[in-house]
Amino acid sequence: MRFLAALVFALLAALPARAQAPVSAVAETENVRAELLAEVGAIKPGQVFRMGLHQKLREGWHTYWRNAGDAGLPIELKLTLPPGFTAGPLIWPRPKVYDLSGVVSYGYENEVLLMLEVTPPATSPPDTIRITAEATWLVCEDVCIPEEAKFAIELAVSPEGRAAPAEVQRLFDAARRAVPLASPWSARYGVARNGDPTVVIDAKGLQADRLSELYFFPADWGVAAHMPRQNIVIGPDSIRIPMRKGDGKGKPPETFAGTLVMTEQTGDAKTVQAFDVTAKFDASFQPPPLSTSAAQSELDLWEALLFALLGGMILNLMPCVFPVLAMKAASFAQFAGASRRRVRMDGFAYGGGVLLSFAVMAAILAIIRHVFGGVDWGFQFQNPVFTLLMAYLFFVIGLNLSGVFEIGGSFVGVGQGFAAREGSSGSFATGVLAVVVATPCTAPFMAAALGFALTQPVPVLVAVLLAMGVGFALPYVALTLTPALQKVLPRPGTWMIRFKQFLAFPMYASAVWMIWVLVQQSGADSVLYALGGMVLIGFAIWIWISGMAAGRMALFGRAAVLLALGTALAATVKLQPGEAASTEATGSGVVMEGWEKFSRIRMNDAVAKGKPVFVDFTAAWCITCLANERAALETTATRRAFEQAGVVKLKGDWTKRDAEISSVLKEYGRAGVPLYLYWPPGAHEPRVLPQVLTEALVLSELSQVPP
Amino acid sequence: MSGSLFARRGLFVAAGAAVLLPGVARAAADVGRPAPDFSGVDSNGTTHTLDGYRGRPVVLEWTNHQCPYVMKHYSSGNMQAQQREARAKGVVWLSIVSSAPGEQGHVEGARANELTASRKADPSAVLLDPMGRIGRAYGATVTPHMYLIDARGTLVYKGGIDSLRSADAADIPRATQYVRQAIDHLLTNRPIPEPSTRAYGCTVKYSRTST
Repeated sequence: MRFLAALVFALLAALPARAQAPVSAVAETENVRAELLAEVGAIKPGQVFRMGLHQKLREGWHTYWRNAGDAGLPIELKLTLPPGFTAGPLIWPRPKVYDLSGVVSYGYENEVLLMLEVTPPATSPPDTIRITAEATWLVCEDVCIPEEAKFAIELAVSPEGRAAPAEVQRLFDAARRAVPLASPWSARYGVARNGDPTVVIDAKGLQADRLSELYFFPADWGVAAHMPRQNIVIGPDSIRIPMRKGDGKGKPPETFAGTLVMTEQTGDAKTVQAFDVTAKFDASFQPPPLSTSAAQSELDLWEALLFALLGGMILNLMPCVFPVLAMKAASFAQFAGASRRRVRMDGFAYGGGVLLSFAVMAAILAIIRHVFGGVDWGFQFQNPVFTLLMAYLFFVIGLNLSGVFEIGGSFVGVGQGFAAREGSSGSFATGVLAVVVATPCTAPFMAAALGFALTQPVPVLVAVLLAMGVGFALPYVALTLTPALQKVLPRPGTWMIRFKQFLAFPMYASAVWMIWVLVQQSGADSVLYALGGMVLIGFAIWIWISGMAAGRMALFGRAAVLLALGTALAATVKLQPGEAASTEATGSGVVMEGWEKFSRIRMNDAVAKGKPVFVDFTAAWCITCLANERAALETTATRRAFEQAGVVKLKGDWTKRDAEISSVLKEYGRAGVPLYLYWPPGAHEPRVLPQVLTEALVLSELSQVPP
Repeated sequence: MSGSLFARRGLFVAAGAAVLLPGVARAAADVGRPAPDFSGVDSNGTTHTLDGYRGRPVVLEWTNHQCPYVMKHYSSGNMQAQQREARAKGVVWLSIVSSAPGEQGHVEGARANELTASRKADPSAVLLDPMGRIGRAYGATVTPHMYLIDARGTLVYKGGIDSLRSADAADIPRATQYVRQAIDHLLTNRPIPEPSTRAYGCTVKYSRTST
């Protein structure tokens, strides 16, 4: 046996150089300094303690979360423990999103501590034990390097145990704060017909304006694509997370887990919160698909250009363009010889002018797109405010096409001037003018086209607009080249008006559609706001065109117009979670169990009696408050400590901006919740605890209770 | 039910009635659907299109010779062996390099041919895709990212080369070789057991400005 053991040892020693290197708690590679850490100085038998792999990464480099995303591999850590010791699963801090030219991955930069819990046997005799570990990770900047390392640490076992050095303790405390909490809300998910999943988290009464940078990290590959950004909608009753489908095949799994990370603006600071969410599959919930966005699909450019060209040509049929075109055509037909050549020159100059106008328009749009970023209808349509505004827009365009109102003044005069203009010198300017002059009747269509163009990458945007310009100029240029074409032109007449009026109906239909979508997003009440808003818009337009907004009644007229439009727009606010709007019906949602309701009298009374007093100012919509309660205030250890110390626990519910609480917040210089105050026994002044609590911090505060 | 879809349609009813602008969008490569057609130039200057190979199964292999995960499968000979096997069965094998100029793994034709020779690789052709057009159309995210297209032009496999996501060549014999498995099943008219798997490797080094 001894010989065999010696042989094995010799074989092991003959393994590659890496295995031979003296193994310590620290391993350094080119890009990572990694260290195996324990949260204890000495192990107490039977008492669970944490260990962790700490990585310090070279600037610009990152390692990966448990779901690495489109590329990359998760960090792996394997511990080898003495007999009787057991280790739990890895505990992952919340990750970040890395978008490398559209390839999205999830991971960590600068530093990270991956923790796990180790349970020593209750019967361990005092000793020194050795724990070894093997870790592999992929570290990437632009390029990726797979690395591996071995670690060993020795830890004493003593009956009392011993705390870890303060700097190690700090690392573990920081890592604990970055670990997602179990979700306080239930969640479900549904799948659209095309496979796009939407997760709905039943969180009531959140305030969208307090929350930013929301991202849902899917825990596993398959259900959802790893997206560079998500358009998460915070509604009065829920958080909706629409995503694109992933590459997994087959039936949707029973559950779809992930980590929701968000940044909350509390009264005075920003805190990042993370929750582990497990959404149950809900077959009855079929969400709308997340439309393919520019990043994932490519527009068939030739098709778009063809339609843009046709669209430009159709603009010529508008009542303020067509008569001019017809008149010009009639005059061309009379020319011959030299005049014909001049007419041709005119045609090209005119075409150049039109194209220049469209090019300018394209340039303006490109700048808008550059400044505001690309508009993605797929994302926008998930937003009820946007949907309502679109419904209004289609309604107003429809009214315009129906002839209820006109944009601008009379164009007949300008049109005639334009037709009467002679000579090629003016033709280029005429082309520019034509686009401008045509605006009143082309504007509604242009609005839709420009909106569409804004969703496209800049080269496509420019190409589409120029194609429209070519289409717009084409009939005129064609007529200058072949005046005989005028015979096939229909005569100007009432058909033009009819055609324009007809186009109103697709607009009204679109508005109806928008309202239907709105109901899906915001519930039945939104019908009231949307249709009421339309009535008000109609009213405002009526006052305006009736002339009541001018003349003697101008002041009243204008006030009425503003009031009506303002009220219509105010309807959008009702679609948002209003201040405590939804919580009023259901109670605030703050859990009071184990706590007394805060009042200043009760607080002062308890303090005066020399009792320890802990006050928690919270609100149903404050996620940081909720996270603190879960992570620090409502843990078994803290509850026990509160009880042992005989602390008077008061909870102030600021969900509805209670005035008494507001005055306390102000006294302590806070603009909002959370605020935690603790009076140790006999103290006259409270200790103000930080906005982000840990269990260790609260326990240490409470342990300062004198015996 | 599908509000957003209808909303989009609504927008296009309007936009379409007005200027007839279509929102025709082509989805990224998805298993069970027609594979996006492409046209790419190989290391010898010859143009290849997917339509040109209609009637034969086609494997697309995204590659970057400097990526450790690609090296895993070339230094072990695994990739070359699968290339030879597949071609012997009449399958077209196109290796595609989508690394942009200046990025890791970018090669010109001559260097690509050198690499093929020195590694004893046996693809039908090495396509050079420095603008990442083919890569974007297929949603290739890593090297190696593997695709199998059947003789009718339907994408039937998308994912990793094998099942063990590591950089260690010693794992190869233990792993399920997904591409080999897919080709075997395709050629014997059996359903492919795992038609979509998680690919692993280095990110494709696309041009920083393209999306």
